[in-house]
Amino acid sequence: MSDATVPNPTPGPAPMQSSAVGAGSARLPEVIRRFGRESAYLLVGFPIALAAFVLIVTGLSVGAGLLVTVIGLPILTATIFVARGFAHLERVQVAGVLGREFPSVHYHRPAPDAGWFRRMVTPLGDPQSWLDVLHALVGFVTATVGWSFVLTWWAGALAGLSFPAWGWAVPNGGGAEDLPELLGFGQSFAVKALFYVATGVVFALTLPLVVRAFSLLRTGLAQLLLLSRAETQQQVDELVVGRRAARSAEASALQRLERDIHDGPQQRLVRLSMDLGRAQKQAGPDNPQLQGTLDAALRQTKDTLEELRALSRGIAPPVLTDRGLRAALEELAARSIVPIDVDIDLPAGRLPHHVETAVYFVVSEALTNVAKHSGATQCMMTVHLVGEEVRVRVSDDGLGGAHLSKGHGLVGLHDRVRAADGVLNVRSPDGGPTVVEAEVPCGS
Amino acid sequence: MRIVIADDSLLLREGLQLLLTEVGHEVVAAVGDGPSFVEAVLTQRPDVALVDVRMPPSHSDEGLRAAVSVRAEWPEAKVMVLSQYVEVSYADELLGTGSGGVGYLLKDRVSAIDEFLDSVERVAAGGTVLDPQVVSQLMVRRRGDDPVSTLTPRETEVLGLMAEGRSNASIAQALVVSDGAVEKHTQRIFAKLGLPPDEGQHRRVLAVLAYLRT
Repeated sequence: MSDATVPNPTPGPAPMQSSAVGAGSARLPEVIRRFGRESAYLLVGFPIALAAFVLIVTGLSVGAGLLVTVIGLPILTATIFVARGFAHLERVQVAGVLGREFPSVHYHRPAPDAGWFRRMVTPLGDPQSWLDVLHALVGFVTATVGWSFVLTWWAGALAGLSFPAWGWAVPNGGGAEDLPELLGFGQSFAVKALFYVATGVVFALTLPLVVRAFSLLRTGLAQLLLLSRAETQQQVDELVVGRRAARSAEASALQRLERDIHDGPQQRLVRLSMDLGRAQKQAGPDNPQLQGTLDAALRQTKDTLEELRALSRGIAPPVLTDRGLRAALEELAARSIVPIDVDIDLPAGRLPHHVETAVYFVVSEALTNVAKHSGATQCMMTVHLVGEEVRVRVSDDGLGGAHLSKGHGLVGLHDRVRAADGVLNVRSPDGGPTVVEAEVPCGS
Repeated sequence: MRIVIADDSLLLREGLQLLLTEVGHEVVAAVGDGPSFVEAVLTQRPDVALVDVRMPPSHSDEGLRAAVSVRAEWPEAKVMVLSQYVEVSYADELLGTGSGGVGYLLKDRVSAIDEFLDSVERVAAGGTVLDPQVVSQLMVRRRGDDPVSTLTPRETEVLGLMAEGRSNASIAQALVVSDGAVEKHTQRIFAKLGLPPDEGQHRRVLAVLAYLRT
């Protein structure tokens, strides 16, 4: 809706118009429209709040009183639904008054297969239900006060300003009953009219402030009790979505990097080692010096290739990307220098990507630690899916002394596991043994 | 020998081609994806075919799928699969396609030219070649209480080499011992593990692998 096409709304008083003209005529209709909305909101507030208050207080008292009998529970539940209805009405009004969208409120729902008792009790267990009830009680007070003031101000403004039009028709019952007369301004109609119009002007000028103040009070209360939980929930939902997007962006960036390394330098090095091997064959056995040089070059190439491979395993292990967690863990175990016992119990399908990655790196880092620092002669890897959670345990019979703060690569691991909502626990007393444990949930 | 090679990288395809032709083999086809590999092998009927696992269009296990379907069409095909990493289930699938003439090697092995060429020849001759890493991956699945742990270190070594698909002569060469010594080791291993006595080479590999994975 564009402002220009909107007809001048309902009872827009003249003073408002003249005061707003200076602010720019383009914005004038919106200011007036909002004033109209707020006035209407406050004026219908009291009857609605009264109905809500009466129904809900009655329902709660009766329901709670009869709770020992069977009938109390359905009455309570019905009352909750009445409160929800009024809360919904209030939310719609607040959204209209403030002219903005609010996230929709999601109440707890009973499971589709729930019995009647569950269905009765679920609404009672929802905190938002009780906030709705609370709003009906507290909101009754603010709605009543707001309604009284706004009604008085509107009446004062309208009656005062229009006094000259009807004041003459009011029979003057004799005696000092008018305020201007009491104040000693005399009793001519002109004086009375002037006085009442002046009063009307004062009411009219302050009316926008009064409307604004009570509108803020009531919408504020509604936002606090009826909308803040939904808004928080929406923020949480947005963060969850954002984090999921960040995770998948990170994962695909890393996989692309790994693919680039594989398709680029890694292939060139493999080719280089093939060519060096061929050169060795071409040189023949009767040139030991050349053979020695080629040998050294070939060894360098192989070492570089191995380092590069280790690097890309640290970025995004291709076996994990292509074949999943079990294959990747078995490959890790096969590379372990220290003899290792493996016990893997995972479902056949794939787990969420960030879970697989976290678990893989826990095991990888723990086994690196075993190989480099522990002096162990035997280690053990256990990876089980228990319920909705992957439990990882890597233990060895080594010297212990591994610590999260010691820069054994375990610190970065801690963050990695935390990022997947998991817990990492390292027990490694001096003298051993070392146990690295992690629990990573599979839900988002 | 007449050889078909498949690798999606032109660089490596050329490298392999040069390597093989220089030692006197003939590369009859060099292709870059799974479907053309299957077609090339079935029309050319080479003595041996080399195929990379990760190829288009799927970029995951295309080469393996291709090798399996080649062997389904033509069971006598000799196929060597080259992979960037070890995945035991790849080896499983390959060994499950029939008797002998299959190999599964890590790509790195190519740079040790003589050993690589030797492996290719063994596969072409109907042998079975498994990468040492596949074997060690099978070995680590063992728990502490099984008969493999009763093997002496030398016997464990021999078991590993048997699983890689080597003949007794080849094992003797690798360990620098006499054929007779290897023969004695293998007999003792078979006895300790309760395996049927030595038969054909491929069956021996299968028996050892079957044992290792129970």
